[in-house]
Amino acid sequence: MVSNATVIEQEAEFETTAYHPIESELGSVIDIDNFNFWYGQKQALFNNTLKIQKELVTALIGPSGCGKSTLLRSLNRMNDLIDGIRRDGTIAIEGTDIHDPRVEVIELRKRLGMVFQKPNPFPMSIFENVVYPLRVDGIRDKRLLEETCERTLRDAALWDEVSDRLQDNALGLSGGQQQRLCIARAIASEPEIILMDEPCSALDPIATARIEDLIAQLKEHFSIVIVTHNMQQAARVSDNTAFMFLGRLIEYGETKKIFMNPMHVRTSDYITGRFG
Amino acid sequence: MKAKEPKKRKEKKEARMPAPEGDSGNHNEPPLETTQAVEAEKSPPGRTGFRAALDFKARGEPFIWIMGGALALGVLMIIGFLVLVLWNGIVTFYPGPVEVVTLKNGKQIAGEPFRSESFHPSPEQMKGLDPESQRAIREADGFASRTLYRIGNFDVYNEDFKWAVAHQVAKTETPPGIFFIERKEWGPFIGFIKALKLDSRRISGEEVSLDTLYSAHDEAVDRREAVRSIEVDEIGAINYYIEEDRLALRRTELDYGKKSAEYRAEKEKFERQTKERRAGFATLKKKIAAINKEDEKYQITLREIGGREKHLRLSEIVRLYPANNLSLFGKIGVYFSRWGEFLTDDPREANTEGGVLPAIFGTVMMTLLMVVFVAPFGVVTALYLREYAKQGTLVSIVRICVNNLAGVPSIVYGVFGLGFFAYTIGVRIDQLFYPERLPNPTFGTGGLLWASLTLALLTVPVVIVATEEALSAVPRSMREGSLACGASKWQTIRNIVLPQAMPGIMTGLILAMARGAGEVAPLMLVGVVKLAPELPFDTFFPFLHPERSFMHLGFHIYDVGFQSRNSEAGKPMVFVTTLLLITIIALMNAFAIMIRNRLRRKFVEGQF
Repeated sequence: MVSNATVIEQEAEFETTAYHPIESELGSVIDIDNFNFWYGQKQALFNNTLKIQKELVTALIGPSGCGKSTLLRSLNRMNDLIDGIRRDGTIAIEGTDIHDPRVEVIELRKRLGMVFQKPNPFPMSIFENVVYPLRVDGIRDKRLLEETCERTLRDAALWDEVSDRLQDNALGLSGGQQQRLCIARAIASEPEIILMDEPCSALDPIATARIEDLIAQLKEHFSIVIVTHNMQQAARVSDNTAFMFLGRLIEYGETKKIFMNPMHVRTSDYITGRFG
Repeated sequence: MKAKEPKKRKEKKEARMPAPEGDSGNHNEPPLETTQAVEAEKSPPGRTGFRAALDFKARGEPFIWIMGGALALGVLMIIGFLVLVLWNGIVTFYPGPVEVVTLKNGKQIAGEPFRSESFHPSPEQMKGLDPESQRAIREADGFASRTLYRIGNFDVYNEDFKWAVAHQVAKTETPPGIFFIERKEWGPFIGFIKALKLDSRRISGEEVSLDTLYSAHDEAVDRREAVRSIEVDEIGAINYYIEEDRLALRRTELDYGKKSAEYRAEKEKFERQTKERRAGFATLKKKIAAINKEDEKYQITLREIGGREKHLRLSEIVRLYPANNLSLFGKIGVYFSRWGEFLTDDPREANTEGGVLPAIFGTVMMTLLMVVFVAPFGVVTALYLREYAKQGTLVSIVRICVNNLAGVPSIVYGVFGLGFFAYTIGVRIDQLFYPERLPNPTFGTGGLLWASLTLALLTVPVVIVATEEALSAVPRSMREGSLACGASKWQTIRNIVLPQAMPGIMTGLILAMARGAGEVAPLMLVGVVKLAPELPFDTFFPFLHPERSFMHLGFHIYDVGFQSRNSEAGKPMVFVTTLLLITIIALMNAFAIMIRNRLRRKFVEGQF
């Protein structure tokens, strides 16, 4: 009885989502509708509803444990790997529900490239790292592989640094280079969306700046969803920002507005550093 | 911002805590206060000393001594063992001098001094000694020293070794003319050369030059080898084909019955072929007889120290050397020639002499076959357990069972191997595929295949445990990276997880290999025999014969050390064979470790 009462109290505590994102001319790419998510008995996401706009950068911010990574990982169903999860509501990419039994999770993940917090290049050559998504598709055509490798490395602003040592082990690269390599790998399968889970948190400021430049370039071709703890970064790179708190989407809107003139007190408390 | 977080959270927790819980919070507080109080006592404002200097226990000094001592003890035991084996193994083949001992009663003993010890003579032995020696022994508190001589000439003396008590010895000489002669049969002969008969030439012992002797002996060895090669290779081949023909005939009989036309045709063919083959056989026999007749002309007459003579064909001698008249160079020559024989020849004299090639072959072959079986089996099992099976009670039980399997006594595996592999599967195979050979079993008895399968079963827990550890050590980020690229679970395992786990898996295989190669007990039941000159690998199709029984170095050690006519004679061989077995296992491990390190180098992070 007591716990029930607190839940209701908490529910009542949260305001309705403030919703004022920039709309892309190309429409939305991901429609998240009333999405709930549980790890075992613990609910991690509560009725998240938002439309992620095509070819814009969307930043997810919020204090630790607010569910932003969970939401990001739900988009390419990486959470499927965890035992005892449960979900409710829909996520649609270009109108297709990703949980539809007819959707192959492998195909889905090819449409959403993902970059992780810690650079995770495979212990192989740089070349093999970049073309890994093609290799798993069974592509053997050497010319196609080489072309893809060069194109994606150029897109990831890494080509000039590694073009003469493509056969070297990728683990020999510096942290920032490794992360750009992971970005190159993520875009090698020609996805529409790139998911970035705190891509700069393990990097120094210079490497971070390069990645941010890169995000600005990649935005021309890809829709990007980025989770970040760094508010300045969110302000610099994103067009829209979603602020999450305890699994709820508190405010989703144009980045400028969120940072200059947020609609909710909780948002302004967080971005001004009053809590979190 | 981050530093603020924990504090903020704590506040929130406290704020959320309902009032009754405040009590429980209080329960926690007293210990907190006391520790604070103690700390306050210990470190008064302006601390005077470091804590480590105050607290002996904190430094953990005694534990460091215990840990270091345990390590030192372990290392010492291993070094002691290795030095013992190495030294005894290395010196065994070095030719020693032959001493002629003249006892006070006029008797003479000629032999290689084997070892000396001090002993306590029994009253009867004392009676046999002269009064002077008796007094000397009594003065030495009843102790006397004695030396064991390897006197050889088993056919003459009926013993290999003889003790000489120091007090009985009148004099010890090393006559230059005495020879140490290793024979094909009856062990070594120690004595003098009385005469040499080379075809029509007769040379008396004093005139024999070493060069003549050695060249005549080399020729005799060539003749012996020629005979042996005809017997083993050519006659062996004929026997093999006759047997094959007989089996083909028997097969037709089983398939069509004795009265059928097919059988009659086959029988005719068989008789014709056998006749041809018998003719070939006769030719070879004649060839052998001719060589033997030639061989008869080269003889040597030997005389032992007591004067008794022995006639031998030169070809019956394996190796001979003048033990006391040998340069260092000559000794080294004998040393390496013995090692050569040991490593490349068949055993003779009930395994106490000669080589161990079949045993080396059997050991290596069986271990490699075992690895071939255990590696995929163990790795696949571990993959399922770790990657696919839903982790829960059932998997935990399976895991505990697998770990416990490693504790089952190996002889039990031997019994299982015999009962299941040989007597159940093997007998079925025989019935299905080799009915013509029955009642002689082919796979229905112990053999190389069953032995390696048994050992694979014995070592599979090691591989499973090691592989599971290696798999779980592959970072999650790697798997996620691969899955996010659109790889399936299997592709991720094959391309990312397995290559990274490979060094760990190899470690497991190395452990399994070392355990398997050193195992003896189960092998005695499933295919290892005392003598199997037929290697499991030969020139007859299908070249590898996994159904054959084989020799094994571990069993060889047991057999020579504890099952032979004279354990004293076998002792040096035990050490040499042990040294060899350890060396082979070390070599195989070194090879595997080399591969592992090469794999591991690929995954070393070059991040800085």
